[in-house]
Amino acid sequence: MCSPALQEGWQPPAAECAALIRPFQGRATKRLLLPLFAVAVQSLSGQDVPRLQARADSLVREWRRASALADMVDSLDHARAAGGTDTISVGALRIVTNPSPARLREAASRAWPVIDSLYGTEARQLAQRPYLIAPYDPDTTSPKPTLRGAIQVPWDQDVTSLAMILVTNVPIGQPDAALHNWLGGLVVPIVRPEQARAAVYVQLVTAPSQAARSCFLGVMNDCRNALGLAESPDPLRQWYPSVGERRALVVRSFAEYFGYLDHGARKPTLQSCGAGSDAACTELLRSLPPGVLPRPLTYDARAALVHIALRLGGREAYHRLIATPALPIPQRLAGAAGVSVDSLVSLWRAEILAARPAPVTVPPWGPWVALGWTAVFAVCALRSSRWRVS
Amino acid sequence: MFDVILYTQWKWSRLIIVLGSLAGFALPIVSVQGAASGDRGALAAGALLQTVQSWGVLYPVLAAALGLLVAIATWAPDHRGRHVHALSLPVARWRYVLLRFASGATLLALPILAVLAGAILATWSATIPVGLRGYALALAARFALAVLVAYAVFFAVSAGTARTAGIILAVIGSVILLQIVASVANVDLDVFGELQVAVLNWPGPLAIFTGRWMLIDV
Amino acid sequence: MTNAVELHQVRYRASRTFEIGNLDLNVRSGSIYGFLGPNGSGKTTTMRLALGLLRPLSGRITVLGDEIPANAPRVLARVGYVPEQPHLDPTLTVRESLRFQAAFYATWDWPRAEQLLRQFDLEERNTFGRLSKGQKGKLMTLLALAQRPELLVLDEPTDGLDPVVRRDVLSALLDYVSQHQATVFISSHLVHELERICDWIGVMDNGRLITEVPMDRFKNGIKRLRVADAPPTVADAPFVILARERANGRVETWVVRDWEPAMAAYFETVGAALNDVIDLDLEEGFVELLRTFRAPRG
Repeated sequence: MCSPALQEGWQPPAAECAALIRPFQGRATKRLLLPLFAVAVQSLSGQDVPRLQARADSLVREWRRASALADMVDSLDHARAAGGTDTISVGALRIVTNPSPARLREAASRAWPVIDSLYGTEARQLAQRPYLIAPYDPDTTSPKPTLRGAIQVPWDQDVTSLAMILVTNVPIGQPDAALHNWLGGLVVPIVRPEQARAAVYVQLVTAPSQAARSCFLGVMNDCRNALGLAESPDPLRQWYPSVGERRALVVRSFAEYFGYLDHGARKPTLQSCGAGSDAACTELLRSLPPGVLPRPLTYDARAALVHIALRLGGREAYHRLIATPALPIPQRLAGAAGVSVDSLVSLWRAEILAARPAPVTVPPWGPWVALGWTAVFAVCALRSSRWRVS
Repeated sequence: MFDVILYTQWKWSRLIIVLGSLAGFALPIVSVQGAASGDRGALAAGALLQTVQSWGVLYPVLAAALGLLVAIATWAPDHRGRHVHALSLPVARWRYVLLRFASGATLLALPILAVLAGAILATWSATIPVGLRGYALALAARFALAVLVAYAVFFAVSAGTARTAGIILAVIGSVILLQIVASVANVDLDVFGELQVAVLNWPGPLAIFTGRWMLIDV
Repeated sequence: MTNAVELHQVRYRASRTFEIGNLDLNVRSGSIYGFLGPNGSGKTTTMRLALGLLRPLSGRITVLGDEIPANAPRVLARVGYVPEQPHLDPTLTVRESLRFQAAFYATWDWPRAEQLLRQFDLEERNTFGRLSKGQKGKLMTLLALAQRPELLVLDEPTDGLDPVVRRDVLSALLDYVSQHQATVFISSHLVHELERICDWIGVMDNGRLITEVPMDRFKNGIKRLRVADAPPTVADAPFVILARERANGRVETWVVRDWEPAMAAYFETVGAALNDVIDLDLEEGFVELLRTFRAPRG
């Protein structure tokens, strides 16, 4: 279980992982990983540059994560040996922290219901995946704690902010690669669901994709397309069906990339695309490395869908979602929610449309405030009435 | 009384009011030209919002400029006559100040109405993509409030004597001095930042100017 | 007789170098009070204090029976004011200036305004900023008179005007006063002008009122005397000696105040002889008065 975690994302120090990592602790970690990095790069030499760059970036990320993990384990061991840590338990949440006045227990009490309601029975795994939090004295002259890899927070952080930190950094186990790739991240609680849905509404209206626009207009098939739930051999045509969309995508998002790629070898094609050649635009977009083509909608849209599925499916929903990695994503979502994927997407769309954001940024009481200030300044003018003629 | 004050005010402010009204009428119309003409498919909404937003910064600028210039013009005849005539009139000073204030505010209704008319015309004539809506009334109402606040601020400053102006300058100078001293003494004090937060965020006096000014939005 | 304007122990500091100190001034109702004084003596400041345009440091000001500045609006509704400098909105035409002024005065007399407009030959479509100095003076006077004031406060109303315009303005003022028995509080540099029209005179210098007397008393009371064999020191004189200069030989020239013919007998009692009593006009008297006031006391 530890290996995929190392490959695919940050993982809290579960006991078995800690055991595996221990030999790589400290400076040795970097020395061991560097040759591995070099070999990996060498084996990819036959591939094209973007793919190589993507792999290289991926390896660097893995190396950093491994280092951070090793640092954290090292730090924990060090702190435990020195007897300088407390462990706070609320529900299944575990917080390893150094003694401080920070109100972490209250924050955990607030965060736990949110986390528990999202993950349901799977939340129990958090008992094995503690947070590592290092509160520090906000007085800038005091030395900061030395717990490496820990989330550092000032002592005087208010409970709400601490609870927010706990919710957004929940150390839940990473799901399988298929779910992770489709979603574009972890399934984590949404701190401000109304705002998140409002942001998705704006995406639906403004995304430069016919799929997103059609979804907004009520074409459910396009909602599935926009959410990446429809199987398609050609996502480019599926997501960006019109010539204008493809050209806009190249010109707005990839002009610089293609302009410098291969020492400017793609520039003529880029210019043709800019001049209106759809063939050139399509060629450029098809040359993008896998996973690089922007999806019509962002993580927020898909996360909103997952949250609806988990809400509908009850406490076992998350367990069902991650328990069937071999199935296609739509089926997994349907399984988790206990309804058909069409119903799920339909509900998602309804909730998103219901979350249309308020367009004017002035709060409802803003006009009264403005009129109040107008009156205040008018009174100032009265007060400054001159008794002296100049 | 009000009608004669309003008339003199008009004579001093008419150029500002006319130009401001023209600008206010043209701004919403110009802001949707191009982006909202013709069907551009899925790209239309984003392009329109981008254009509207970039033109939107001119609304608070216009509001501030109108407030400043009309406030100056409101007091100009009295400043020019060194307030002798105003003070020799058989009317309480507070009442006279209110008459002046009300006359300037009344004249500002013209550019505000121009913005409203321009905004209504712009939203009516433009091809607004599905999902977006025109907010002519909300924009004009916000413009009106911003103009009023700017006008009141500059009216108050302009109504003051040289001593008042000196006090204002002294306060500004003290703040700058305080910030410099704090920086030199390495004290963690961001007076400008704090002031900015207090003034530009709700319920600060200039908060009405901040944020997006969108004629067309979701 | 009541006073239209009363200033009692009024103090006002205009600058570091000039102040009005403990000023007592009374303008009798129905009188034409000429306010004399050199430039910078405090005439304009006193008038502005009387109208509530300036706030005194201490003292009490009453105008037409009301306290100033507390009841300034009520008082100003009954006062016509012509300031030293024309101050109307320069963008307004003559007609618009009339309308503006009329809006503030319940007693505004339109027929009178129209009549004065014709009398002063003012082109009503001209803006105030384009009027000549004489025309501005006429318009200011017109505005003050058309509101039918009980008190006219005129601060150098004819200053800088040519003789013809000055005559027009003064005759309009006198017409009004004779018809309405209004009080006039007028300052001017043109002493002869005041001499013709005023029945009271006040002389101001350096923020202080030197004298305040009826015009005839002022004019008749100041004399130039030619005295022979005058003693070196004079005590218990029934008049005030303002100046004393040796003319030639035994003869001296005295300038005195509060003179009355019966006082001629005084000279015999001190062994002197009064050779001649010469009348002074207002201007000479004014100049002598100032000279005495400013002479170092020893």
